[in-house]
Amino acid sequence: MHVLLIEPDKIQAMAAQQALKGAGHTVSHVLSAQGAVHAADEQMPDVVVLELQLPRHNGVEFLYEFRSYEEWLQVPVVVYTMVPPHALAHAATLEHELGVARVLHKPTTSLAQLCAAVQVIAPASHA
Amino acid sequence: MNDQERLFLSLAEQLASPFLQISRLAEISADDDPEAVSQRWQIVRAISEASVQLVESYALSLRIHGKVTPLRLEPLTVSSLLYDTAEQLQPFARQYGVELALDIGSRSTPIIADRTVLQAAMTSLGQVFVLAQAESDDTAAVHLSAHRSRYGIVAGLYGNAQLGADGLRRARALQGKARQPLQKLTSGPAAGVFVADSLLQTLAARLHVARYHNMTGLAATLQPSTQLQLV
Repeated sequence: MHVLLIEPDKIQAMAAQQALKGAGHTVSHVLSAQGAVHAADEQMPDVVVLELQLPRHNGVEFLYEFRSYEEWLQVPVVVYTMVPPHALAHAATLEHELGVARVLHKPTTSLAQLCAAVQVIAPASHA
Repeated sequence: MNDQERLFLSLAEQLASPFLQISRLAEISADDDPEAVSQRWQIVRAISEASVQLVESYALSLRIHGKVTPLRLEPLTVSSLLYDTAEQLQPFARQYGVELALDIGSRSTPIIADRTVLQAAMTSLGQVFVLAQAESDDTAAVHLSAHRSRYGIVAGLYGNAQLGADGLRRARALQGKARQPLQKLTSGPAAGVFVADSLLQTLAARLHVARYHNMTGLAATLQPSTQLQLV
């Protein structure tokens, strides 16, 4: 399964990448929303793992753009973020309007749990 | 929330990141070979030392504002101070693949300031710039520069973060109320900017947005000592 990891922190990205690769996935890592659109254009992701706090355009802005393209409408998205659940103003919008499958709070979610979440929401062809 | 509480909140949010990095590195290191584990330890050391420095700078700012610790004014040159700052930042910058460039000229007029306070301010600011540049898709380099202007000696850090004066004003207004106070500078809480600002206030200076060689950055304008110039 191909995972598009959108994570501005290079050290956290390295750890997540290694864990996802260890779980048998291929991973493309980008630092920003703009880079994510280019990466998704180059290789269609099966799952997107997204940090909401990004430089320049934030994760919610990215999702609006991502979902505006028909070919990416069904791509499952896991939000994996430092933003605590009580501070997540867009929680309902994320789920209902932007089709986010899971919202995981980084400090309370291990990499093993992230990999498990990616596996669970994988499209039927990969599950 | 008062200014100090906002600063504390910003610092707490900032420090969550290195703790999480260390925790995640420990998680993946369980299955790694010894060489990879050794590399991970270098990363852990660099990020934990940078975090300790930030906490100590914050504590220094509190002590000086609370008059628990007096300022220790001494003659110093900004160029030597920036050189030491770059040395201190180097291990942290290396882990993020960010290059540090010094542009301090050959001769610099001395100033009277507290060296510890000024260096803590520049190092805290430097950490924010390293993180911001590391998040950038462009070439990752941070420039530490000291140059003369008609208002004094401008000491600051520069990159391609495209920060505007409005951005800094908004950041100060939003500090502690929003999670992305410096949207164009970094996605994190950028506590180092506010710690640096607070430290510089004790030296009667303040951070301002500055441009230098087509780069934008944050700098403080320090007054040269006219008496020392004569020595």
